[in-house]
Amino acid sequence: MENLRVLIKSLALPLIAPVVAIAIAAVVGAILIVLLGRSPLEVYQTLLEGGLSGWPNLSVTLQMTTPLLFTGLSVAIAFRAGLWNIGAEGQMLIGALFAGVAGYALAGLPTIVHLPLCIALGFLGGLLWASIPALLRVYLGVNELVVCLMLNPIALLLTGYISTKALKAPGPTNKLPDVAQTAYLPSFSIYSQLNAGIILGIAICIFFLAFNATTVRGFIWKLIGLNPRFAHYGGIDVKTNALWIMLVSGGVAGLAGVEQVLGQYHAFYDNFSPGFGFDGIAVAMLANSNPLGVIAASFLFGTLNGGSAVLQMTTGLSKYFVQVLQFIVVLVLAARFVWHRKPGAIKRKAPATAQPQPVSQEV
Amino acid sequence: MSKVQTEAKSDPTNEILVLDGISKTFGELVAIENASLSIRKGEIHALVGENGAGKSTLMNVLYGIHARDSGEMRLRGQNVRFSGPSEAIRAGIGMVHQHFKLSPSFTVAENIILGSEPMKGAGRVDFAKAEAETRELSRRFDLELDPKAVVAKLPVGLRQRVEILKALYRSAEILILDEPTAVLTPNETRELFNTMRSLAASGCTIIFISHKLREVLAVSDRISVMRRGRIMRTFDNENVTAQDIANEMVGRSVLLRVDKSAAREIGQPVLEVNNLVAFGDRGEKAVDDLSLAVRAGEIVGIAGVQGNGQDELVECIAGIRTPGAGSIEINGVAASADPRSAREAGLAYIPVDRGGLGLSLQSPLWENLSVGHLSEVSKGPFLSARRAQERASKLIQAYDVRGGGMFAEAGSLSGGNQQKIQIARELSREATLIVAEQPSQGVDIGAIESIHKVLVTMRNAGKAVLVVSADLDEIMALSDRIVVMYRGRVVGDLASGDTSYEEIGRYMGGLHEDAYRDPATPISRPGLQPPHAIDG
Amino acid sequence: MIEELAFSALRISVPLVLAALGGLLTFQAGILNIALDGFMIVAAFAAVAFAYATGSLTIGILAAVICSMLLAALLVVFNLRFKAHIFIAGIAVTFIAYGLTALLLEGIFGQDGMFTSSEIPTFPSIDIPVVKDIPFIGPVISGHTLLVYVTYLAIPVVYWVLYKTRWGLRVRVVGEAEAAAAAAGVNVDRIKIETMLASGFFCGLAGAYLSLGYVSLFAKQMTNDRGLIAIAAIIFAKGNPYATALVALLFGLASALSIRLPEVTGIAPQILQLIPYVVTILALVVVGIRNARARNKHGSWNFDIA
Repeated sequence: MENLRVLIKSLALPLIAPVVAIAIAAVVGAILIVLLGRSPLEVYQTLLEGGLSGWPNLSVTLQMTTPLLFTGLSVAIAFRAGLWNIGAEGQMLIGALFAGVAGYALAGLPTIVHLPLCIALGFLGGLLWASIPALLRVYLGVNELVVCLMLNPIALLLTGYISTKALKAPGPTNKLPDVAQTAYLPSFSIYSQLNAGIILGIAICIFFLAFNATTVRGFIWKLIGLNPRFAHYGGIDVKTNALWIMLVSGGVAGLAGVEQVLGQYHAFYDNFSPGFGFDGIAVAMLANSNPLGVIAASFLFGTLNGGSAVLQMTTGLSKYFVQVLQFIVVLVLAARFVWHRKPGAIKRKAPATAQPQPVSQEV
Repeated sequence: MSKVQTEAKSDPTNEILVLDGISKTFGELVAIENASLSIRKGEIHALVGENGAGKSTLMNVLYGIHARDSGEMRLRGQNVRFSGPSEAIRAGIGMVHQHFKLSPSFTVAENIILGSEPMKGAGRVDFAKAEAETRELSRRFDLELDPKAVVAKLPVGLRQRVEILKALYRSAEILILDEPTAVLTPNETRELFNTMRSLAASGCTIIFISHKLREVLAVSDRISVMRRGRIMRTFDNENVTAQDIANEMVGRSVLLRVDKSAAREIGQPVLEVNNLVAFGDRGEKAVDDLSLAVRAGEIVGIAGVQGNGQDELVECIAGIRTPGAGSIEINGVAASADPRSAREAGLAYIPVDRGGLGLSLQSPLWENLSVGHLSEVSKGPFLSARRAQERASKLIQAYDVRGGGMFAEAGSLSGGNQQKIQIARELSREATLIVAEQPSQGVDIGAIESIHKVLVTMRNAGKAVLVVSADLDEIMALSDRIVVMYRGRVVGDLASGDTSYEEIGRYMGGLHEDAYRDPATPISRPGLQPPHAIDG
Repeated sequence: MIEELAFSALRISVPLVLAALGGLLTFQAGILNIALDGFMIVAAFAAVAFAYATGSLTIGILAAVICSMLLAALLVVFNLRFKAHIFIAGIAVTFIAYGLTALLLEGIFGQDGMFTSSEIPTFPSIDIPVVKDIPFIGPVISGHTLLVYVTYLAIPVVYWVLYKTRWGLRVRVVGEAEAAAAAAGVNVDRIKIETMLASGFFCGLAGAYLSLGYVSLFAKQMTNDRGLIAIAAIIFAKGNPYATALVALLFGLASALSIRLPEVTGIAPQILQLIPYVVTILALVVVGIRNARARNKHGSWNFDIA
């Protein structure tokens, strides 16, 4: 009985923050809608219907959900362990680049080899890009937030250079040569670019759900996020684990790029991302870094983004409305977020004692 | 000092500050109970006591950092209540904290004037005036300092001077110095005492918090002793001995009695520390050429006021701090700065920093209990939650941990129960060396008993037990052998049956120039260093 | 040709230098404000909207500054009062700003992507008498619009405020040793709020210049990561006003060159645009290595950021 109560508590409590954040965003959004001369009810209804009703709409929603599954999971993996990986955008681009190049350069291989190889290389690309902030943080103590922030535009510029100059496809274009058919992620729908990537995304989320909950390594990664000093005291090699966490996080973000290149565009286009990496931050926060939550949050934002095209057509309200909602959610959660998953070391406090310490800090 | 001044200082009606019946409670902890203190103008008044006696808390109440629950404070005859340090500062009270609050890359003058900057027009700071005023102050109080010097480049003694000048810049007439000699070399201590005397001679009143009896006797006019939140007595320095003060400081408690049967057969040394040198987080030398041994079947208690290197010593043994020099061996295995190898060598470490080091406060108890034992609760790469929870359940029952079962978050438990979790976890392994840091800190009486029982059981089972505690009752009750640490060194190594509270108290206060005791048995290490020379 | 380049470098760098000036004030107080782009974009929008509506440049600039400072207030409230992490809150505020301005662009002006109009007033260029005839220097310095001069004159002002005034002293101490400032009676939170509002002020001017100062137009995300480049300049120059402004100017020059150079030499624009970001990471690495050496090897183990 005790266990049941604990189970219910552990399921319900973590939902409070996301629900509150969504509610606040919805209210602010409603105010915005009114100020722009439209009806909130109508707008939200259109958004949800436009996202969910009928297979054509739903397939667009699922298409938009897919990249978020990867970037959201990527950020979630890092955040859960107390590491600030806000470089998912850049890691996705490099992963996309690797997959895009392998897609045409290795043409001639049978699908059964070519496709997995491209996917693996995409993962590798993201992993390598994440290794920069990872190594700098673990071995030099450099703030990975700032490094990630700088690496995002670097990735965009580098891939831009490669796709518009160095390896550009022939003709007036801004992309690499097309990916060979053997590296296509098969498509599901004629109404959208929905492709098998979504299966990969969901599978990987479920994998990490199991990983987090059932493996020793998953347990260790969680502990590092909660109290690195305790983990170290308990015999865990915090630095090596932190390194791997960032690398895996980067690799998963790379897969977001893989899906876009092999599943949607079938080529690497310069500047193809409307900010999936940053949306991933929103997803991870709403999901509280839980992989199942990532699926749910990705689907929520996917629905809103999918519905926003319809919204634009019927009410004239721009699709940026959804972006505003999305990041209001982030802002609200950031306020609460600090208390729930405090990344980095918990500062060395005075001993957990009833004796009061005078408020003193050292020089 | 002139005759007038001497007389003024012994004149009981020349009181500048009176604390009358001050009480302060934090939650359930009574920090200060009905404390009454009177300070005379122009005197150097020492406030002594062990850790947790309430000295710092009392001064924080005076300085406005905490609000008192009851009692009166009268400054120059007027009732006062300060709601914050700025008010206390305005009333002429200045405090020099143990941990300095200075900005390292700024100059002495800038640090001193911060918050009360002299201004030129248009919002500009008059830096020239700041330097001039600093120089003037420096000259007036005979505290040599170069206003243009950058604080980061100054040695600790001079940085302390900056703090003192800061208080004087704000016209402090009463100066509170909180454990000022904790970070000073003997030379710097000598300088500080000269400074204090000349400040007092120019009319400043000084309250000097310390646990170092030798120093206190060297420089104070009167000495008030605090113990367990009360002011026990106020002595005049003229007719008191160190022993009197020590007795007052470490009074015996009748509550703590541990059933400790006669010492078992004592075996080989399990822990051997040789000539250890270790540095603290601020770069200061915390452990100074220290040697120590703990043998199987004995409880060695390290006594000493916190801050004399015990924390750093324990961290080196546990592998979370890299020593500067010397060696540590556990069961003959040389320790590296790695908690895992220390564990594998046989160490069970129960840290004092429960929330920061020994537990994950946000995790449920069963997870906390599994850390360090992951191989026992895993099947290949998988964590067997069932096995971990079964194990946790057994441990919780065995150690009588109260607080809501194995799914409760560690942070929701009381101090005593948190301690039990730590102990349950660490002792559920085959350890040969147990190191317990301040085991009863923040723990209620009932839990303390059971914790002590566990430690004695371990010792009876042939383990080596090292207990570090600032609580002398605990040390006396538990230890077979008592080692006293002072300034990073061992200054006393005594069999608990052969010594007394008074003697230990003296050593804790730094008065160890007494007879050099031979080791009780052939195997134990010589513990005593040659006497320190502290002048002043 | 070189004079022409220098002239346009000075002009093009204005938003960068302004944003960097604002950002360095919060940096000195210990806050790394990454929402500079967000502040600038709302300012740019407000400037165009109000200048168009009222026909007055002054009102446009005023509106820009006010809106930017309101956004700064939002950020600092979430950071200080609600304890939100400054980076996450900064990212959120920036994207809210991007979305909001794009939304309003379509909502109010009915345009998707860009708004311009000949009815929007423009800044007159100022020819400085006497100076304009000095060879080489003249054509570089004279002939700019008002905000350009304001920008470069602001640099010594910021230096003066930071190093000569009481407020500046307190800001710097808060940035280095908050506990020391608090113990000395400085209101730490107020200082942080004031620096954040100051950064809002400067970004307000920057945004106004973006949309009104050269060509009168507003486009989605027209800040083009200038805020990020400004942050790079601040980090690289460690927040020192002259150094930061100089670095920002150099980054601006690189940016300007990145458009011109490909025409002449065929070097891809991206290569030059990489410079600010790469250089900043290298600087961080250097500092990291230096810190790693100096770090107390005998401290207690921790996993903190150095």
